[in-house]
Amino acid sequence: MTVLLLLAGGGFGAGIFGSLLGLGGGILIVPLLTFGFGLPFREAVGVSLVCVIVTSSAAAGVYLERHLANLRLGMLLEVFTASGALVGGLIAFLLPDRVLAGLFAILLAYTGVTMLRRGATAAREDARAVGPGADPADPADLADPPGAFRAALAGPGYRPARLGAGIGGSLFAGIVSALLGVGGGIVKVPLMHLVMGVPLKVATATSNLMIGVTAAASAIVYLMRGGIDPLVAGPTAVGVFAGAMVGSRVAQRIDLRLLRLLFVAVLALTAVQMTVRALG
Amino acid sequence: MTVVAPVGAGTAASRAARVDASIARVLRAGTLLSIGLLAIGVALMASAGRSPLDATWPELDLGRIPGDLLALRPEGFLWLGLLATLSTPLLRVGAAVVGFLGAGERRMAGLGIAVLVVIALAVVVAQGTAA
Repeated sequence: MTVLLLLAGGGFGAGIFGSLLGLGGGILIVPLLTFGFGLPFREAVGVSLVCVIVTSSAAAGVYLERHLANLRLGMLLEVFTASGALVGGLIAFLLPDRVLAGLFAILLAYTGVTMLRRGATAAREDARAVGPGADPADPADLADPPGAFRAALAGPGYRPARLGAGIGGSLFAGIVSALLGVGGGIVKVPLMHLVMGVPLKVATATSNLMIGVTAAASAIVYLMRGGIDPLVAGPTAVGVFAGAMVGSRVAQRIDLRLLRLLFVAVLALTAVQMTVRALG
Repeated sequence: MTVVAPVGAGTAASRAARVDASIARVLRAGTLLSIGLLAIGVALMASAGRSPLDATWPELDLGRIPGDLLALRPEGFLWLGLLATLSTPLLRVGAAVVGFLGAGERRMAGLGIAVLVVIALAVVVAQGTAA
């Protein structure tokens, strides 16, 4: 009973943190399950993928209703994130736990650096104008001829650029997601925003929409190869869902700068632990 | 005098909004169903005093799920909840395909079908490589 409550409580904490900081929660769940509950790395990844799907499905519906997510762009890219996730899911069963832990340590360090820089980026994004002369509600103001495929992917005031890079990056994001049990937003959001020129809020919402399908592709591989423990996944997923719901409601009232610094400190500590595990 | 709107004016946006709304409904229903089933499974596990860290966990056997549900065994609800969780994003893609076909956007529908083909491939490959 105690372990059950601790799992649900840990999931709740990961859900709140993830929701407040715009992450799927997978980056916290894998260390929680491996260090906190002694699960093998691959089993922790399987459970984390389930939790990531739950949070993605819950949030994606809201993003679609608010017309923040670009469904068409998401569907193009998720063909490739799902393909990457399929490949990554198969590779995950070939690699030793130590290698996966080492890769996770690298991801943690990268995420920490990204979180530190995100505050300034978000502030710049809010201040940026759509552009002179463009009607923000009319994609037809963009330069593509009507009927062109890229025009179908355009949104209010923007047109995704460098589709080839977006496709390649999406494949990579899918592999990372499947290997490490994360949503892959840490790759997809910068990819769409910085490389493809999609506004940050749209990139975040579209990434969230894609995470469900990406994680489902690899979770199926984990499930069919006996890599998902329902007894651990159940309480953790319920906790993560409850935490994400609470987090989305209190986000406006919390000073995210302090939270971000605390989170980076947790990531740094976890990265060190993962590195020790990889080397040990 | 009747004012006739230009053909196609506003229709693309309203069609897109309808597709988005129908997908959002699928996601909401799928999430609630998944979490509801998982929560019941967790409650049954707690009432039975079972530890989530049991050395072995119950294998997925689709044929056993109805019996487990009727007997109120936690594994039935947990497995069904997990299957509902994994199916929700795929149903979302299916809803998008139907919506895009209805809107005459065959290229976008094709992308959705491609996603479903990749998922089907994942099932086949995982089955073929399972120990």
